[in-house]
Amino acid sequence: MIELEVSRLNKKFGGNHVLKDVSFEIKGAEMIGLIGPNGAGKTTLTNVLDGAVKPNSGTVYLNGKRIDQLPPFEIAKTGLGRTFQVTRSFRRMTVLENLYVPALALGKSHTGNEVKEQALEVLEFLTMEHLRNEYARALSGGQQKLLELGRLLMLDPDIIILDEPFAGVHPKLMEVIYDYIRRANAQGKAMIIISHQMDSIFALCERLLVLNYGDLIADGTPEQVKKDPVVIEAYLGTTEDRSGTGHGDEAEQS
Amino acid sequence: MPHAMGIALLAFFFAFPFVYSAGNYDYIMHICIVGFFYAILASSWSMLAGYAGQFSFGHMAFMGLGAYTAALFCHYFFISPEPTGICTEFALGSNYLIIKNPIGVTSTTLTQDCLAQAMEKWDGAVTVSPMPVWLGVILGTLVGGIFGLLIGLLVLPLRAAYLALFTLGFSEILRATISAEIQITRGQAGIELPGLFENGITIAGHYFGKTDKIPPYFVMFFLLLGCLAILYWLSRSRFGLFVRALREDQDAAAALGVNTTRYKILVFVITSMMAASAGAVQAHYVTIITPNNLMILQMSLVVAMAVIAGVENFVAAAIGAILIEFTLEMLRTSFNIGGVEIDMTLWRLVFFGVVLMLTLRFARNGLLVPVINYFSRGHVAAETVVRRKQSESSEGASTAPGVQGGSS
Repeated sequence: MIELEVSRLNKKFGGNHVLKDVSFEIKGAEMIGLIGPNGAGKTTLTNVLDGAVKPNSGTVYLNGKRIDQLPPFEIAKTGLGRTFQVTRSFRRMTVLENLYVPALALGKSHTGNEVKEQALEVLEFLTMEHLRNEYARALSGGQQKLLELGRLLMLDPDIIILDEPFAGVHPKLMEVIYDYIRRANAQGKAMIIISHQMDSIFALCERLLVLNYGDLIADGTPEQVKKDPVVIEAYLGTTEDRSGTGHGDEAEQS
Repeated sequence: MPHAMGIALLAFFFAFPFVYSAGNYDYIMHICIVGFFYAILASSWSMLAGYAGQFSFGHMAFMGLGAYTAALFCHYFFISPEPTGICTEFALGSNYLIIKNPIGVTSTTLTQDCLAQAMEKWDGAVTVSPMPVWLGVILGTLVGGIFGLLIGLLVLPLRAAYLALFTLGFSEILRATISAEIQITRGQAGIELPGLFENGITIAGHYFGKTDKIPPYFVMFFLLLGCLAILYWLSRSRFGLFVRALREDQDAAAALGVNTTRYKILVFVITSMMAASAGAVQAHYVTIITPNNLMILQMSLVVAMAVIAGVENFVAAAIGAILIEFTLEMLRTSFNIGGVEIDMTLWRLVFFGVVLMLTLRFARNGLLVPVINYFSRGHVAAETVVRRKQSESSEGASTAPGVQGGSS
C-alpha cells in the first residue's frame, strides 16, 4: 500500500519561512486537494517532495524509504511524479519522444515495441494519437498540458502531484483531465491536486490539505474544511468576501 | 534518401585519394585531412552544444590537451635497452623507460638533455626507441576524457551564458599555462612531434613514405567515421534521448527519472575524448603543436562550422565543417578589382563571418539541417492530418476534446 509520511517539514528562503513544521500522511490511493492562497507554500511543498528543493529540516518517507535528501530523479523512480505550474514539455522533441523519456529512465528497453505501444495507448487515452510524431512545440497549450500528464502515466508513480492542472483549460479539455485523474486514482495511485478552482477540487477530492503562509491550517474532508472558520478566514472567504471568482462558492452554501 | 546520400559521400571520400588528378594533389589532400579534423571537432561539439545544450567554448582546449599529451609523451618518454644513469628511468622488463629532463627552448648545441648526453656517450652503441605514436594518441584521448570529467563536474550547476564563460576561461587558462611553461612545453615555440608514420608504411605491398598524404588521410577519415558511428549510436540510444531532454528542461527531465548529473558529465567526457583524439592525430600529422592552436579564433571556427551547417545534427556539422574548410581554402586566391589588390587571405574570414551572421539571422537551424529534415520529417505533417481525419471519422467530430489547434 502507498504510504507517504511527511514529518515537520521546514523550508526557509532567506527570512521567508515558506513551510513551517508541515506534517501529514497519505495512506493508500487517496485523492487529495492541496489548497491555499498565493504564497501559501503549495509549490514549495511540491518541490520539497519531488527533491528539487531540499528542506531545512523534517523528513519525508515514501513507502518506508526516506526520500527528502534524494535527488529528484531517484524520488521519481521511487514513485513520486509531478507536473509543473507552467507546462514544461520538451519542446524540440516529438510527442512520442516526450513519452519515451520517463519509460526509458525507468530502465525499459528502447528496442522493441513495448514502450512504443504503451506510449500510443497513453496518447489514445489523451486523444492525441495523431500528433505522435509532431514536435511538442507544435502543440497547443492544452495539448502540452495533456502531454505532461501523459509523461506521468509513462513514469507510473505511486503518487502524482498535479500543480494547477485546470489553469487556463477549456471545459472540453477539463473533461479529459478529470477523466485522467479519476482513472489514475482508480488504478491505485494517490493524487495530490493543487488548484484554485474550488469547484474542481470539491468535485474530485475526498480530503483537503490547506496551507496558509507555510502553516498547514487544515487537514480533513471537504465538508470539514468548508466549515472550518480558520480556512474560511484565510482562504475560502465568506459570502461578504466573495469576489465571484469561484472561491468560496461551496463555503457560501455550507 | 539520407542513407543513399550518406553512402554516396562515403564512397566519394574512400575513392577520392585514388581518383583525384586535377593537380595540387598534396594540397587538396591536406585540405581534406584538415577538413576531417574540423569535422570531428564540429560534430562532437554539436553533440555537446546542439543535442545536450551545453554551450561550451572549451572544445578546442580539449583538442589541445590531446595534442599536447601526445606531444609531451613523444618528446619526453623513450625506451632504451640500457640505463642512461643520468635520466629519470624505470626498469620495464628487460628495457628501461627513460624520461628526458626538460630543457625548454635552449639551443641543443649549448645545453643537451640527459638522453642526448647519454647517446653521445654511447656513440651509437645503443639504439633508443621512441614511444609508439598510437600510445600517445590513446593517452591524449584519455587525458581529454579525464579533464572532460573534471570540467563536467565543475560546470554541473552552470547554465547557458555562465557555462560558456566558464569554459572560455578554462580554455584561455590552459593556453596561457602552456605558453608560460616554456621549460616543459617550449611555450610559443611549440613542440615538434614525429609524423603519424615516421618511417613510412607499407599497405597491400605499396610503400607510402613519411610525407605521403594517403595514410594520414585514411587515419583521420577512419577516426572521423569512428566518432560519427559513436555519435550515431549515442543519438539513437537512451543517451541521445536523455541529453536532449536535459537541453530542453533539466528540472523536468530530473522529475521524470533522468539522472541529469550523470548524462551531463558523460556528454562532456565523451565529446572531450573525441576532440582530444582528433587533436592528438592532427598534431602528429602536422608534426607540431603550438598554443595558438587553442586560440579562441580556432574555437570560433568550430562553433561557426557547426552553426552554419546546423548545430542540432552532428552529421550536418561534420559535412558543414568539411565544406567550409574547403571554401575557406579556395577563398585564399587574391584578385584585382580596378587595380586594387584584394587580399583574400584576410578577407575570406570576413566572408565567413558574414555567412555566419546571415545564417544566425535567417536560418537558425543552419543551412544543412533543413535539407536533412526535409527528407527525414517531411512526411510528418501530412501523416498528422491523415491520422486526425481517421480519428475524427471513427469517433465522430464531436468526441475529440482538446485536439483543436494542433499545427505542424
